[in-house]
Amino acid sequence: MEFVSQLDISFFLLASLGAAVGIFFGAIPGMTATMAVAVCLPLTYALDINHGLALLLGLYVGGISGGMVPAVLLNIPGTPSSITTTFDGYPMAQNGEGERALKIGIVSSIFGGLVSAVILFFFAPVLADLSIRFSYVEKFLIIFLALTVIAALSRNLLIGIFSGLLGVWFSLIGAYSISDGGNGHTRLMFDFLDPWLHEGFALLPVLIGLFGIVTILSEAAKGVRNDLSGASVNFGKGQRFSFSQLRGQLTNLTRSSVIGTFVGILPGVGGSAASVLAYTQEKNFSRDASQLGKGAPQGVVASESSNNALTGGALIPLLSLGIPGDSTTAVLIGAFTLQGIQVGPLFIGDNTDTWHLMMVALVTANFIMFAVMFLAIRHIARIVMVPKHILYPIIVMMCVAGAYAINYGIMFDVWTLLIIGVLGFLMTRIGLETAPFVIGFILGPNAEVYFVKTIESYGNLTVFFTKSSIAVLLWILIALSVFFSVYLHVKNRRKQHADAA
Amino acid sequence: MSQVTNGGWLMSNGLYSLFDISVDFDQSHLFFPRLVSWALVIVFLLILITRARPILQALTDRSRGVIFDRHTDRFRFAGTMVLLVSYFIAMQALGQLWPYTGYGFLFGSMVFILLLSLLYLHERTRRNLSVIGLNAVIAPLMAWLILAGLFNITLP
Repeated sequence: MEFVSQLDISFFLLASLGAAVGIFFGAIPGMTATMAVAVCLPLTYALDINHGLALLLGLYVGGISGGMVPAVLLNIPGTPSSITTTFDGYPMAQNGEGERALKIGIVSSIFGGLVSAVILFFFAPVLADLSIRFSYVEKFLIIFLALTVIAALSRNLLIGIFSGLLGVWFSLIGAYSISDGGNGHTRLMFDFLDPWLHEGFALLPVLIGLFGIVTILSEAAKGVRNDLSGASVNFGKGQRFSFSQLRGQLTNLTRSSVIGTFVGILPGVGGSAASVLAYTQEKNFSRDASQLGKGAPQGVVASESSNNALTGGALIPLLSLGIPGDSTTAVLIGAFTLQGIQVGPLFIGDNTDTWHLMMVALVTANFIMFAVMFLAIRHIARIVMVPKHILYPIIVMMCVAGAYAINYGIMFDVWTLLIIGVLGFLMTRIGLETAPFVIGFILGPNAEVYFVKTIESYGNLTVFFTKSSIAVLLWILIALSVFFSVYLHVKNRRKQHADAA
Repeated sequence: MSQVTNGGWLMSNGLYSLFDISVDFDQSHLFFPRLVSWALVIVFLLILITRARPILQALTDRSRGVIFDRHTDRFRFAGTMVLLVSYFIAMQALGQLWPYTGYGFLFGSMVFILLLSLLYLHERTRRNLSVIGLNAVIAPLMAWLILAGLFNITLP
């Protein structure tokens, strides 16, 4: 219980500040929780790991929850994870029940957040204990599985794989680090770039570029229109919210929270997948599904509890295997690296205090999110109207400050923002996917070390199949995820043909 | 000797040696990148084969364009790019005038935020313009005070 001594007032203040700023980011369409964490990273440089994480976890929880505000009031999801909230939230707002829909969403959010925190607390150490025994072979296969799963859940399997491999390729630019047992020679670059690229692209500028600058460039290409100028936020005077209205929703709440947590565990798969899955399940299992999509509170419950449950879920593979569960946790890896802490199987055992403090921060952030949103929802609703021509320039400025300061003042890191920003913009335009790219980029260097070192010591490829029963199990999972993706693809194509006919 | 036990049954078939592979340490930095590069080429070809029709359509349909289409706001996009590049260059140049103060960031950001806001503005009312002017001064000042002043973070 030593961690209790580190709980000071600033810890709670930072978690609260994070939740409040996160809600702000989430509530503005086009700005996501990932962006909130990326943009606010420079603020953590001066903090220690525990206080830094309190701020970042607050941002994460607030950012995911804030997305429901424009989803309900304006039919525009503030973050991709609140897409399904629009299905029922907006019809409710049109019936004059905007405030009720939001409050139902807020209660569902805290429920999902707390359920996933409990699962995280009990499951992550078990997974970490298991993975401590993994050799390089299993570690490589876990990364391979992570990339396969994320590619399998992309819109198109091949494009998902291509995006992931491109991320790995990018991460290999620069020297094969001697500290990892490499020979120190550079590759995939021209020699004259050596002064800048010897260490390759730094992780955080790449992430900030992908989640900050790409958004700005995409919005600029769309003309930075304030689509909301004609819209007005209307709370209406319909039925009021009371907790008794959530009676009978316990099954839905629990099921959606568990689904959200599980989807969170899958590497790189974000909140939109979680909420869509939970919503579909509510549709399948609900006694009265006919009202779904027309303003049924249970739709909001399913969507909001699952997307907030993602937060705890996504932290599970991060803290036990070192593999981020979604793009926001990918940026969190950056925060750990910054503090010189390696996330992976040893993290929880070696940093027990930090692990416990993270749990406290996560739970605190959920309660603060609940309090802020529940009491001030009418004021928060106005955030959606903040003009983009004011916000976007500030975002760029914060991205630049963050990138520059990461390695104590390297201008090339700022140029990386632009290089990756343009690259990411082109990638999204030609249909490649960002999430697999990010996961590939983060895991690429480890994948190389595990793969090459295994071959150097065994000298034969069959070891990847014969090393242990866990290796075999991992291969089965890899095969299943490919099979699942092909099955979904064929099913969708048949459906399209049937619809066309 | 673990490889012998692991691959014992394969060895008896003479197949085990088929999967033998060795990495020359001097060249080990190229081993994995080559593998990934080849995988990229193969997946790229597979995409070309399986999605030949939509790709051809996208490339030949001039009204759509691959990167930019009819609806693209070319002025604002190009303006953003020009401003970003000038911002980065100016920030570094100004920073060298007053090293270790963060003034390059502060003054560079003020001009950049002003210009980018003006670029993105659609309705030029007096109110909008004054808000933009105020924001261009206050936002960088706040960021500079908090980051450089309070937290001692290195800025250009």
